[in-house]
Amino acid sequence: MRAFLQRVLGGKQGSKNEAKQRLKVLLIHDQVDLTQAQMEQMREEVVAVIRKYVEIDDSGVDFKLDRGESGVELAASVPVRRVHARAI
Amino acid sequence: MSECIVITSGKGGVGKTTTSANLAVSLALSGKTVVVVDADIGLRNLDVILGLENRIVYDLVQVIEGECKLKQALIRDKRVPGLYMLPAAQTRDKNAVSQDDMKRLVQDLKALHDYVIIDCPAGIEQGFKNSIAGADRAIIVTTPEVSAIRDADRIIGLVEAHELPEPDLIINRYRPGLVERGDMMNREDILEILAIPLIGIIPDHQDVIISSNRGCPAAFDENSVVGQAYRRVAARVQGHEVEIPSFETGNGLFNSFMKWMGLAPVREVV
Repeated sequence: MRAFLQRVLGGKQGSKNEAKQRLKVLLIHDQVDLTQAQMEQMREEVVAVIRKYVEIDDSGVDFKLDRGESGVELAASVPVRRVHARAI
Repeated sequence: MSECIVITSGKGGVGKTTTSANLAVSLALSGKTVVVVDADIGLRNLDVILGLENRIVYDLVQVIEGECKLKQALIRDKRVPGLYMLPAAQTRDKNAVSQDDMKRLVQDLKALHDYVIIDCPAGIEQGFKNSIAGADRAIIVTTPEVSAIRDADRIIGLVEAHELPEPDLIINRYRPGLVERGDMMNREDILEILAIPLIGIIPDHQDVIISSNRGCPAAFDENSVVGQAYRRVAARVQGHEVEIPSFETGNGLFNSFMKWMGLAPVREVV
């Protein structure tokens, strides 16, 4: 309610959300200590393994590190188009 | 039983020394005996914040090197019974002291006083390691800014790696007006990220600058909002349950709107 009114009256969101978002990303990378290139490589290797078993929609793959209850969590969302017959 | 508390932050300039001085004064005002130690060897500042810079004879390094007795180096603050300061050396570097030296020193100080407060230098190197070596618990000071919170997160990890219990957090330089208009992270935002217990919020206020000009910590002033905030921290340090107020200004957009509508301002939860 408050946030809604602020948006209506103020026209835009304050900068704190930006600060919070930037911090979350920063802290994950501080803790994980992987380069962007290493992250990309890990993504490709994981997706390659999944692709051996199911047909996936490459454009919809979402692969990211996040802060969870017990520290850093790796969250991967991989849309499956079709399960390969031979895998069943 | 005596307790040694290290005040640390990682980032410089967030208010470690101001917090150390005010917490020490507040604890002394509540009847405890306290010694506050400047562990920032080579860049001492605590003496100036406390207004005791003209009374220094011996320093921490001289105590460790046996040039003087511990009690000779302690400067008694005459404004309140039971408050002492141990100054840092100004002309030496951080490597003049080892972690074992600090452990011994803290043990000796704990035998004399209820609380030993250590004002830790910025950074995560030797000075930091020395400062936490003899500590029983840590209080992390941060400001509601990305850089300070990032460093606080790093320090929390290091404190826990040194087998100290989970540290407590002080949010310093809090500006309720900015929080109300969404331009500063609020209490929940910061706690969501750092996930340690909050032990105090210190509002950003001119009292801090005025008191540092005068060498008289705000905690001495009963009417200062900053002094009051630090005295509440001191009560919580001693295990008393004291509410952390919200510091709302009542001038936020939402409150203005509610006033305009003829409704009472709603209490901002920060």
